[in-house]
Amino acid sequence: MEGRDDQPTADVESGARLRPSAVRSRGAVTWPSVDGPLGVSWEEAETSARRFFFWGFAFLPLLWAVNCFYFWPVLVSKASPSSSPHFNRIRSYVVWSSIGFVIFAVLLTAWALTFAIGGEHLFGPMWKDLVMYNLADKLQLTGLM
Amino acid sequence: MDDRSTDSDPVTAGESSILDTLGEDVIRIVSPVSLCMLLVVLLVSSVSSTNDLSSSISSLFLSSTTTPTSFSSLNLLLLGSDSTWEEIKSALVTALSFVVVVTLLTFLLVLLFYFRCTNFLRIYMGISSLFVLSFLGGFISLLLISHFKIPIDPFTFAILLFNLSVVGVFAVFMPKFPISMNQGYLVAIGVLTAYWFTMLPEWTTWALLIAMSLYDLAAVLLPIGPLRLLVELAMSRNEEIPALVYEARPVDPQPGDRVRVWRERTDVRIEATENSTNSATVQTVQETRLAVSEEITAPLIEAFPQTGDRHLGTEEEEDGIGLGSSGAIKLGLGDFIFYSVLVGRAAMYDYMTVYACYLAIMAGLGVTLLLLAVYRKALPALPVSIMLGVVFYLLTRVLLEVFVVQCSSNLLMF
Repeated sequence: MEGRDDQPTADVESGARLRPSAVRSRGAVTWPSVDGPLGVSWEEAETSARRFFFWGFAFLPLLWAVNCFYFWPVLVSKASPSSSPHFNRIRSYVVWSSIGFVIFAVLLTAWALTFAIGGEHLFGPMWKDLVMYNLADKLQLTGLM
Repeated sequence: MDDRSTDSDPVTAGESSILDTLGEDVIRIVSPVSLCMLLVVLLVSSVSSTNDLSSSISSLFLSSTTTPTSFSSLNLLLLGSDSTWEEIKSALVTALSFVVVVTLLTFLLVLLFYFRCTNFLRIYMGISSLFVLSFLGGFISLLLISHFKIPIDPFTFAILLFNLSVVGVFAVFMPKFPISMNQGYLVAIGVLTAYWFTMLPEWTTWALLIAMSLYDLAAVLLPIGPLRLLVELAMSRNEEIPALVYEARPVDPQPGDRVRVWRERTDVRIEATENSTNSATVQTVQETRLAVSEEITAPLIEAFPQTGDRHLGTEEEEDGIGLGSSGAIKLGLGDFIFYSVLVGRAAMYDYMTVYACYLAIMAGLGVTLLLLAVYRKALPALPVSIMLGVVFYLLTRVLLEVFVVQCSSNLLMF
């Protein structure tokens, strides 16, 4: 089909794979979101980025990760004169979200690995009571459904 | 990238036909269906859950809440011994009552939609999917953790579960979310529900599948069918129905289209579909849980739009699969679920039946797409695939297995 190759940003077939180059043309980011033309516009993007950032504080660090993933083109590119005025604000939300998510991920991974690897050496007999499969058996959680 | 030239004949300048994008369209709907089936087969074969009569009866007496199989086991208790004929009778009763409940709930949905209670429906479906993702997801992950002895602590588990389920609800219902996450979570909901369904006893599962495909056929094609009414209502108002529908990305957004070709209903030419609310089906799921508790039954009922009805046409792609030049294919989540239930149940017997049923379902899906292209109206996605799947399951189990086993044991072939 003829028209298809003309669109620098209409790379929606591989939209699932991150192709920041696909949403960029001439150095500036055309589409704020990773979905490209199927995603949000710049104004909506700012509202979304802000919402994801603030809702992430409700014990939902995964929302911060979603924020970074969704606005990946904004995260990896620099501000240029031709980019939208919302760019800087979106970028600040996304950068702070990524910092928050990385800190949370490091803390959680450290704790989970300590628990898994330390095991009984570190925690003593309490480990057996705390580990999930024993806890599930004790509380009969798998019998509920 | 993909070479469409292999799919189609050369088209005249400026004119794009469906054939140009059909291969990519079909792949984009076949992949998630296959992924869903694969995950259910993996779950079923890795976590061998024994939900036969004895375990369900014992859990009936031991735990305070009844299990999903308790209804059918209760039926069996009432009917007497568990001979095959009694099992078949109880299975038929269960399946029929399921279909009746689904019909009633779909009519209720049509009524609510008619009176424009869309917000209520959306909130209800949000709560239902939250329920499925958190409770069912938690239950299945606990099964996996217990089976594989993963040393996770309850704190990490709770945080992960909470995050994944809440973000999942956002992904499925918020319009401004990454498309890949939306699709991924829809497949996840399908996998969880399908796995839960495979825990029903065998005869009940098969009876349920056949009953639901007949119901789907009737509900979409008959003039009084609730799903047809729903589709027509939504079309006449050009509104979105709150529903769980998997929508593939459009293959080729036309240059003249608006920016948001995905999930945008304001432009009639564009799919505006995605929000086909094929509620129903899940309601059937709830049937067995009706006896258990209100909050468990109710939520799941509306959560899964079942009608795999598809809709072909550039102008009015409201429901199901749209194959217009600017449209995207949509498939109701109930179709995902019931296809995966069939394959999951086949996996409980042997992998040979899995392969046979998978091929049968894909063939059925292809036939349905073909019919869609021919008839250009809403079509049910379940009947052809389920019927083919059931036939192939029986044939494989009865005829093919004997043949293959005999050949193998005599070192002749395989």
